[in-house]
Amino acid sequence: MLTRRSLVAASATLPFAGPFAGAAMAQDYPRRPIQMIVAFPAGGGTDVGARVLASIAEKAMGQSILVVNKTGAGGQVGWTEASRAKPDGYTLAFINLPGLNTIILDPSRQALFNLDSFIPVINQVIDSGIIWVKADSPYKTLNDLIEAARKAPGKISVCTTGILSDDHLAILMLQDAAKVEFRIVHFDGGAQQLTALLGGHVEVAFDNVGGGAVKRMQSGDVRTLAVMDTERSKFMPTVPTMVELGYPTVISSSSRGVAVPKGTPPAAIKVIETAFAKAMSDPEHVKKLEDAGLAIKVMVGEEYAKYYRELHATAAKYTEWALKQR
Amino acid sequence: MEGFFHLMDGFAGAATPGNLLYALIGCVLGTLIGVLPGLGPAAGTAILIPITFNLDPTGAIIMLCAIYYGAMYGGTITSVLINVPGEAASVITCIDGHQMARQGRAGSALAIAAVGSFVGGCAATIALAIVAIPLAQFALGFGPVEFFALMVMGLCLVVGMAGKNLAAALLMTVLGLLLAMIGIDPVRGAPRFTGGIPEFFDGVGFIPVAMGLFGIAELLIAAEQKQGHIVKATLTNLWPKGDEIKPTIMAIIRGTGIGFVLGLIPGVGAVIPTFMSYVAEKRLSKHPERFGKGAIEGVAGPETANNAYANASMIPLFALGVPSSPTIAVLMGAFIINGLTPGPFLFQERPDLVWAVIASFFIGNLMLLALNLPLVGLWAKLLRIPFSYLCTGVLIFCIIGSYSLKQSVFDIWVMLGFGLIGYVLRKMEFPLAPAILAMILGPMMEKSLRTTLEISGGSFMIFFDRPVALGLLAVPLIVFAFLILRPKALSQLREAEAD
Repeated sequence: MLTRRSLVAASATLPFAGPFAGAAMAQDYPRRPIQMIVAFPAGGGTDVGARVLASIAEKAMGQSILVVNKTGAGGQVGWTEASRAKPDGYTLAFINLPGLNTIILDPSRQALFNLDSFIPVINQVIDSGIIWVKADSPYKTLNDLIEAARKAPGKISVCTTGILSDDHLAILMLQDAAKVEFRIVHFDGGAQQLTALLGGHVEVAFDNVGGGAVKRMQSGDVRTLAVMDTERSKFMPTVPTMVELGYPTVISSSSRGVAVPKGTPPAAIKVIETAFAKAMSDPEHVKKLEDAGLAIKVMVGEEYAKYYRELHATAAKYTEWALKQR
Repeated sequence: MEGFFHLMDGFAGAATPGNLLYALIGCVLGTLIGVLPGLGPAAGTAILIPITFNLDPTGAIIMLCAIYYGAMYGGTITSVLINVPGEAASVITCIDGHQMARQGRAGSALAIAAVGSFVGGCAATIALAIVAIPLAQFALGFGPVEFFALMVMGLCLVVGMAGKNLAAALLMTVLGLLLAMIGIDPVRGAPRFTGGIPEFFDGVGFIPVAMGLFGIAELLIAAEQKQGHIVKATLTNLWPKGDEIKPTIMAIIRGTGIGFVLGLIPGVGAVIPTFMSYVAEKRLSKHPERFGKGAIEGVAGPETANNAYANASMIPLFALGVPSSPTIAVLMGAFIINGLTPGPFLFQERPDLVWAVIASFFIGNLMLLALNLPLVGLWAKLLRIPFSYLCTGVLIFCIIGSYSLKQSVFDIWVMLGFGLIGYVLRKMEFPLAPAILAMILGPMMEKSLRTTLEISGGSFMIFFDRPVALGLLAVPLIVFAFLILRPKALSQLREAEAD
């Protein structure tokens, strides 16, 4: 008796909704939990922003939003899966630009998705790039680092958050501008960078303001050498910009937002857009992102779509140039 | 002490009505798996992962862990009543447990097994709470170099102990590593080994493969075997006789120690601790002639050891992210699909989850004790369900489960395909444990090796510059040297296949 009963009870919890999804839409959406694929691991700036957003947008959506970290190859693993997911509104992709663009643009990646595989829905943050080291590092300033790199070409290990990510591009830009050569190590996201640097396994991190570094900077564990922007970041006002340091061409940032796979019903997109826009203006969202050092930049609908395409054109230039550098 | 406070917080997290319910469901399902011959914990856990898809990660992990240690309890029941072990770790219990049942003392045998399991499980969990944080903190200093070495060591130990034939075990490891490489290159991007089949771009699903290799293959094997006779359980006399009490207590204490220590070593499997405990009890007994004729220590020791092992084997998983047995590998797969990577960082990222799960081990062990003593008669009745019905039911469950992970029909074929492969491999005595462990460790090993080489600028000499990594890499060399020079030394212990 107990077998049958427990098996029935168990099977009742299975997500049987699967086969029936897609048939009913519009007014019934969403009827079950939604998953949002984050292409970087838990604990980095991307993940923190996505999780805060998901936890607040749940209320407006009326369904739970599960953040699923699918990581690897600078986001390619997660975005490949997201682009191939059933476009029923139950799988969302958290996208990082220009990381997504460079994957599409680099022919050696053989990306299975292109710019049209996703419909951009809403942008959440634009996060400036930074260069940071451990507090006890001999590099007190960016100049120290450049000097050291000149003396030992290809010896100083600097790490990215993924191949051809904004951080990787920034390293290539700095190598070009300062005529130096680093030893480049690729990690998946800011959390891995943080552990590798604090553990003394690599020397310099190219990351973003909202990555793992901002809190560690306050606690004195790390020192940020430069912000790769034209203006200083309000989250680290004492850190000089690349323009101030004499490298005005080394400007880099990562923007992150929510997209859906191509073919998602417009009605569902509208629901997602409304719910996420509401979540982003929620004081709790604003506060939590401020705490994490993430600069909110909301762009919705056509504005975001335009940004998405324009950024791709810019990224194309950089990628072409970067591929020549390698 | 730090562990103690975390554990108290953990109890708060584990004692929510939802999580208590999940622990209970896990215990019941685990006992069920243990009771049913032909379904071991690895198969059972793999098959039941899909029912946790809709739960939050804490609930899901609590339930799956409960299934695992619940199965360790349940396996005893069939060993005692029908002389057929419900899972491999209860094989040894048949010897004296079934004899006790024939003498009308089934109640005592089952009661002492339940008490021993409870003590062993709780003691190992206390140790987990004490050593996990220091161990995780030590491992935090590990870079990619050390992690690669650690994973190589874990995998090699499993290979060394997995089968009668070292070459076969190595072959299975390579199979697992190759399967893990299908999909998108984790560093450089670009699909590889996909054969142009779009479904392979996301990689071969670990869960469908585990369900096939363990679940389906075990069903096929079990379907070939004859079912045993049930002894009517006399459950009136639950407690040991007066002169048995002291040896029983000692057997439980020794069983706890043996199970715990062996739980820390990857690749040992749940069977070896039970054999070692049995041998120890027989050697130390004042009346060794009673063994084989219904000696209660012969039940108490091994049953304690297998539960102490089950809970202790969570330590390498939680603190280092290294699975030490196929069941733990399947559990690790469940962590990963829930977006959690077991290992030192988990204590920092999700202390709430880790400690709630650890606290739930105590709650679960208590539930099992409460469930098993009064419900033994009910479990025994389950064995009367014709196996053909049961087999069909489990098969349907596997098909639904493999589909529901990604709503992918392709995954059903993957599962069934690997079921057949697993059946053939088992018939040919190829061990499956190395394949499944290699499959789950493969991506992490690859990533850490490639990062290591990026850091060193392509030089393998980096392994010689790091004493910890070098030390970790030396361990498997010593083990292999031992296996090659003394091929018979471990032969009787190497019977463990799937635990």
